[in-house]
Amino acid sequence: MPKPFHKLREQLLRAGVAPRHVRRYLGELADHLADLRTEEVGAGRSAADAESAALARLGSMDDLAKEMIKQRHFQSWCARAPWAMFGLAPALFLAAAWVVALFILWSGWKIFLPGAETPFGTGHFRLFDLANIYFQFGKAIYFFAPILVGWGMVVLAIRQRMQAVWPAVGLILIAVIGGASEVHAGRTAVPGGFGHIRMDFVLAPSVQGGYPYGLVHAAILLSFMVAPYVVWRLQQAVSRSA
Amino acid sequence: MKAKETNPNFMNGVPELLILRLLQQEEMYGYEIVQAIRNRTDAVIAIGEGVVYPVLHGLEQDGALRSRRKMVSGRSRIYYSVTAAGSRRLANLSQTWNNLATAIQTMLAGDQHAKAIS
Repeated sequence: MPKPFHKLREQLLRAGVAPRHVRRYLGELADHLADLRTEEVGAGRSAADAESAALARLGSMDDLAKEMIKQRHFQSWCARAPWAMFGLAPALFLAAAWVVALFILWSGWKIFLPGAETPFGTGHFRLFDLANIYFQFGKAIYFFAPILVGWGMVVLAIRQRMQAVWPAVGLILIAVIGGASEVHAGRTAVPGGFGHIRMDFVLAPSVQGGYPYGLVHAAILLSFMVAPYVVWRLQQAVSRSA
Repeated sequence: MKAKETNPNFMNGVPELLILRLLQQEEMYGYEIVQAIRNRTDAVIAIGEGVVYPVLHGLEQDGALRSRRKMVSGRSRIYYSVTAAGSRRLANLSQTWNNLATAIQTMLAGDQHAKAIS
């Protein structure tokens, strides 16, 4: 990609233009520039003169950026509604993943442990038993869902060159929800022995001196989620200073 | 040679009108559209050539244009053509433009007439 287009891309993304629109725009501009260059060379200019004449005919980078930025329907959802993309949507994705994880727990309980009081404590299964794989798959979804949702937000933030505020809000929100969550299951809670699974959200125990497991878990989740974003910001800072 | 760009204050809606008119006749890609505008207006209307793409994308987003990718001489081009909604939009824009042009022409002729009789 020619250097002016690299700057234009950054300008458009930072202004909130959706990456797919930016990609298409720059692709067409690059083709157009190639056509202009060919035309100018055909008119007898040297390669260097043809390049600068072609760039001048294409328009100034500021004008090219301005025309794209002023059309609101090219704006990404991250720019239009960051509260939804970094607040509501991640929470809904996390909830959906947990519904799947809890369904796996409940169905595994019904299928593999029909008489057990709870589905937890499946230590009597061998490593490669279908039951163990089934339960561990559900557990993996439950524990990794907050991290995957967080990484999704990080990818969105990086693609859109976003400032840190909204991604930080979203990551903290998901880390707190993920860290505070607890799953409880019992058969006796519901008449008929159908089995009952519920989720609680506890950041710190109410008893004095209790271990704040939820807070620690949230901090661990946050550090995993935020790591790629921090690396990207550092890379940006290094490339700007170079 | 860099052509002098047309005063942007007089250009509101004009690229859209010209693009729809050109594409109603045949499908074209961006570079062709700009050259066609330059040639058919004797370079009276000249815009930064890259500025045509946000207009094309906007019209496509509104459903006035459709695009398709085509390989021509080993290069991938995006060709644009007018949809039925685009034809209706062109008719409306042309009507508005003709009314405006007539009104301005009348106004200018009126001023000349007033000078001539004073």
